[in-house]
Amino acid sequence: MMTTLAQSGFPEAMTSLTLFHYLFISAVMFTLGLIGFVTRRNLIVMFLCTEMMFQASGIALVAFSRFYLEYTGQVFVIFVLTVAAAEAAMALALVVLLFRRHETLDGSVWSLLKG
Amino acid sequence: MISPIVLYSMIALGAVGVLLSLPRAKANFALPGFLIGSIAGGVVLLALGTKAVSESSANGLPNLYFYIFGFVALAASLRVITHPKPVYSALYFILTILATCGLFLILSAEFMAFALVIIYAGAILITYLFVIMLATQAPTEEMTENQAPFDRVAREPVLATISGFLLLAVLTTLMSRGVPTLTVGPVVRSDQILTELPLRIERALRDQHMLDGEGGILPTESLARAVNQDGSPGEYLVDAIDRTAVVRVDAEGGSTRVVAWPEDLTLGNVEGVGYELIKAQPGTIEIAGVILLMAMLGAVVLARKQMQIDDDAKRVQAEGLKPTGEGASS
Repeated sequence: MMTTLAQSGFPEAMTSLTLFHYLFISAVMFTLGLIGFVTRRNLIVMFLCTEMMFQASGIALVAFSRFYLEYTGQVFVIFVLTVAAAEAAMALALVVLLFRRHETLDGSVWSLLKG
Repeated sequence: MISPIVLYSMIALGAVGVLLSLPRAKANFALPGFLIGSIAGGVVLLALGTKAVSESSANGLPNLYFYIFGFVALAASLRVITHPKPVYSALYFILTILATCGLFLILSAEFMAFALVIIYAGAILITYLFVIMLATQAPTEEMTENQAPFDRVAREPVLATISGFLLLAVLTTLMSRGVPTLTVGPVVRSDQILTELPLRIERALRDQHMLDGEGGILPTESLARAVNQDGSPGEYLVDAIDRTAVVRVDAEGGSTRVVAWPEDLTLGNVEGVGYELIKAQPGTIEIAGVILLMAMLGAVVLARKQMQIDDDAKRVQAEGLKPTGEGASS
């Protein structure tokens, strides 16, 4: 499986590193981001963890792009970056707003919103 | 494939490491937890590496930098989620991004690597750091070492770690076994994309001519195009498989000759990404622009401070603006 997954072609063959290497890194990083998002209670760190999950998906997309020797995956990472930038701007504005109201960054303070 | 026993036991060990290194109320196991997690990740990477060594005929570990960058990325991301101070988390996230850029360079995605440094490390993380500094509360009695209690204690660490690493186990199982119904399509050669960029080929041919005087095309010549039925010029006559280009001489009634493909002409990463972006996703670029514009407007609206000015204050301010006679010459 390791060698058949590797694909030869431009610019050079993906021989010793296979798709699985990159997907493993991506999966572990995504899992760490998920765990961080659930366990941390600081609002800013929670959004930092979502950025980490974006990053992990970017690794997977670029690895697939290299595997299929197409540029579509890399182009999609550009749009992931766009969404990440937009999300950071909105989320940080919201965090500042919430901080002004309760003077704390604790996410569980806002659990009263659940109704 | 690496042995599933090694993989799953290391995933379990990694879960223990992450669980230990998460911040908790009483005892502090951050360092041993971090070590255990690093060992688990390192063993999996080593297993992958030894497998790669045994399968490649060359001596030594091929692509050593992949393992270095991968380990740094994972260790830094572990520190991001376990460090009790948000500023340090953001700085470790920058380290994660830089290591990821190294991985992208190994994948020959240079444009994405540098765009990531500029956009993520340069712009987004600076915004995060500003907000962290902006939204810092004054120290109170319940803080120890100037840290709020919600930063020092993780919420539901056991359940989160177990569910997260179960997800990881399922993901790696699917990835390592492969999906039989997923077929690999035909390989797209970069030359094929180049035939859609005839002016790029022509420029390379001209450059070649200017350099050594052999090969290439003359200033009076140009790439030949087929003729449609109504007489209009059609597609460029470029053959990607045989790596030849047809050059028409314009001077004498359109005679043509075949020239060799430019020697050093390959499609760079930036050219490929840019061409794909413009050719396949022109509408999505517009949507991305709208998303960014909306995010900017939304951030401005959200972060604006609501000023409540009552009527008395307004009257006082209006009094100050009135011309007073002598000094109102301005």
